[in-house]
Amino acid sequence: MLAQLLISGISVGCVYALVALGMTILFRATTIVNFCHGEFFMLGAFGVLVPLQLFGWPYPAAIATSLALLLLVGSMTERVLIRPLKNAPFVTLAMMTVALSFFLRGVSRFFYGREVVPLPPLVTGDPIELGKFAMLFPQDLLVISFTAVVVVLLAIFFAKTQLGKVIQAASQTPRGASLVGINVPLLRNVMWAAGAFMGAAAGILIAPSTLVHPDMGGTMLIRAFAAMCLGGFGSLPGAVVGGITLGILENIVGGYVSSSLVDITAYLVIVIVLVLRPQGIFGEWRQGRA
Amino acid sequence: MPEMATAHAASSAGGGVLAIEHRQHRQRLIALALLVIALLVLPLGLNNYTQFVVNTMLVYCLVALGFNVIIGYLGQLAFASAAFFGVGAYAAGLSMARLGLPFPAAILVGAVSGAIVGGLVGLPALRVRGHYLAIITLAVGELLRWCYVHMDSITYGPGGFTLPPMHVMGLPLTDRTKYYIFLLCAAIAIGMTSMLLRSRFGRAFAAVRNNEQAAASLGIAVRRAKVLAFAWSGLIVGLAGALFAVLNGRVSPESFGLAQVLFHFAIVMIGGLASVLGSILGAVLLTGAPELLRNFPGSEEVVFSLLLILVLFFLPRGLSGLLADHFPFLRERLYRGGRDA
Repeated sequence: MLAQLLISGISVGCVYALVALGMTILFRATTIVNFCHGEFFMLGAFGVLVPLQLFGWPYPAAIATSLALLLLVGSMTERVLIRPLKNAPFVTLAMMTVALSFFLRGVSRFFYGREVVPLPPLVTGDPIELGKFAMLFPQDLLVISFTAVVVVLLAIFFAKTQLGKVIQAASQTPRGASLVGINVPLLRNVMWAAGAFMGAAAGILIAPSTLVHPDMGGTMLIRAFAAMCLGGFGSLPGAVVGGITLGILENIVGGYVSSSLVDITAYLVIVIVLVLRPQGIFGEWRQGRA
Repeated sequence: MPEMATAHAASSAGGGVLAIEHRQHRQRLIALALLVIALLVLPLGLNNYTQFVVNTMLVYCLVALGFNVIIGYLGQLAFASAAFFGVGAYAAGLSMARLGLPFPAAILVGAVSGAIVGGLVGLPALRVRGHYLAIITLAVGELLRWCYVHMDSITYGPGGFTLPPMHVMGLPLTDRTKYYIFLLCAAIAIGMTSMLLRSRFGRAFAAVRNNEQAAASLGIAVRRAKVLAFAWSGLIVGLAGALFAVLNGRVSPESFGLAQVLFHFAIVMIGGLASVLGSILGAVLLTGAPELLRNFPGSEEVVFSLLLILVLFFLPRGLSGLLADHFPFLRERLYRGGRDA
């Protein structure tokens, strides 16, 4: 049983990691904690659901539409809501993302408030037997391998490419970066789009195994926070390790202790980590703009 | 002779100032008396439904007042008000339903439990700040909600529970009686909070908000100020929660979720940060809205979030900031105690 719990824990943890990664790259690039990232995640799932069911589009077209849509949503969010407030204190920016999250949630509740809808599976096929006790479902395999690819690409991007280094420089000293000719607002815009894109990708990946509903973002946001706190706020490897650890922890708690505790594992992790070791595992402790 | 003349002029001028102050004082007393009378006779013009809405407004006035202590005066981003609200409601409701306390005692229990939880939630605020505090308080609120749902043996589980019938001097409690009780509670809470905010402690909150290090260097006990502000916020919001339980006659976990957090935020931000009158204004204006929007799923969230976005863009100091800019004589009333803007 343990092996099976570990596998499903890693799979669900990969989704947490993806959501947390989206928030982390945005936090690193802009020092904004995005409270509406959960809603990007939810919109990603709805963006697939609506063309699929209402217009009868094929799956790949629906996914492409959803991802493109979320790139636009992320970019518009930065341009319309965040950029005009660039001199505002941290609280105002956080409030703005909170307000946007409730707005997006309200809009989707207006259309889909009374029903929860499943998405058809992304991949079909027989589960793969791993040894005697564990099975790997194709869906899990897809999630895990997609996350691995994203993590590797991001690592290469930030460590090796020119643009990745420019983005880090721009987040460390925005003024200095603009002085040497880096277009900081444009970069921030791109990072918002990229963050929303990653949130949507995670939403599309998990939607077939959960249900699509307006409140799916809120719970995911808390889990992403827990992953980030656990791994260390603002640390990319921290987000991945934290997400996967949280997924495994939830499954083990659910399997061995009580299934009702699964829902609060993330909350407990947040409270315990922030009280005892606020810098998390990887210790990139920044107070941020307070 | 000229000396005498000037002395005379000075004394008469002094007398004039005294007279003006005296007159202003009298005008203020008259205005206050008129307000009290208006509030006391208000129920005569209300039917059962509008009476219920007015009672709800009173409850949310208290919520906004208590929440404003943390977010407006202490300047900490904490999503804890829904948690305090729930604790107050559950503590009051359970002490009536389980222990059989009369409702005035239960209201006290609710307020005190709110204060205790407030103080406890204030402890992490000593270590973490900014968005970390926002996240941890969000987590605490959801943890508490989990407790309401899963600790069936104490809290009656996910369905909530109904309060036993309440009586005042042998008569069952009507909405009108509730109004007078709520009004009394609100008057006491508003009075005491205003006093606290004008005192040494209230000024310490503002100093901590503006610059923690500077405040500490001036000998302000920063940690004590933070815990006190959280506990006071818990007390007032817990009291509001207890009154909320009495108002509805039942308590259930879904009343204290994230939608409640948004509602508290919207009231405080739209009314105006760090303004007691602004909180009252925001609560009165926004409480009527959910009643109008009840029939459309999600429309409440859309309207409140749009209002919030507009306020963040155009009125960063909320309605009370707007009023203070246009009516200078209101400024002092709106921002008594601890506001630097």
